[in-house]
Amino acid sequence: MSDNDVAVQIPTHRAYLLRVAMLQLRNNEAAEDVVQDTLIAALQGAAGFSGRSSVKTWLTGILKHKIVDAIRRKAREPAFAQLDDECQIEDFDALFDASGHWENPPADWGNPESDLSRQQFFDVMQFCLEKLPPNTARVFMMREVMELDGDEICKELTITSTNLWVILYRARMALRQCLEQHWFADPTRTG
Amino acid sequence: MGPLISCKDASRLISQMQDQSLPPGKRWLVRLHLLFCDACSHFHRQLAILREAMLRYRE
Repeated sequence: MSDNDVAVQIPTHRAYLLRVAMLQLRNNEAAEDVVQDTLIAALQGAAGFSGRSSVKTWLTGILKHKIVDAIRRKAREPAFAQLDDECQIEDFDALFDASGHWENPPADWGNPESDLSRQQFFDVMQFCLEKLPPNTARVFMMREVMELDGDEICKELTITSTNLWVILYRARMALRQCLEQHWFADPTRTG
Repeated sequence: MGPLISCKDASRLISQMQDQSLPPGKRWLVRLHLLFCDACSHFHRQLAILREAMLRYRE
């Protein structure tokens, strides 16, 4: 693939990049900015594209760095100090009885293959993600959408690994409960 | 944590397993717990489904 071909392909992935950036940043302007930065960096660096991965994968890699930069800048803002409020493990006590058993035991979700191919499922997931506390959602997205590892997230947000696992635990407990309630326990979902 | 752990402790460890490998002792406690606990086995599977769902959501 010549440099020229790569340069032509780059803008065709714009919509996808914007979608990923929106998932993580939840702000139109911030998402537009990181995508523009990504496209510019990619066009400047098109000659360096090795062709070992797809153009899309390569662009996603660049976007990831730009998003991490944006988050790092945001982590210095006062709003982010509230992160500490989202690290309290005691909040989860209500999910278990005094002897440590589940109050509402997780159900068998069966084989979710057909669920994961349906738009309605992802509408419910979007709804559940939006119910998460904002910093919890941000950290969970860094882990599961950006696929950053725990050490990277701790470093970028200057949080401890204990804080990190509490936040991820919170996110997973809330999401599984929400998905179970609004999707998997709904008998009409397959209809 | 005693030799047998509660669902509350197990669920925390199961979540941590999504992000890092646990020391062998803790991993053993979780595996043992999962053998006998349907609820936590469901939880374990649900976290794998959640991960897969997030990746598809991105696409």
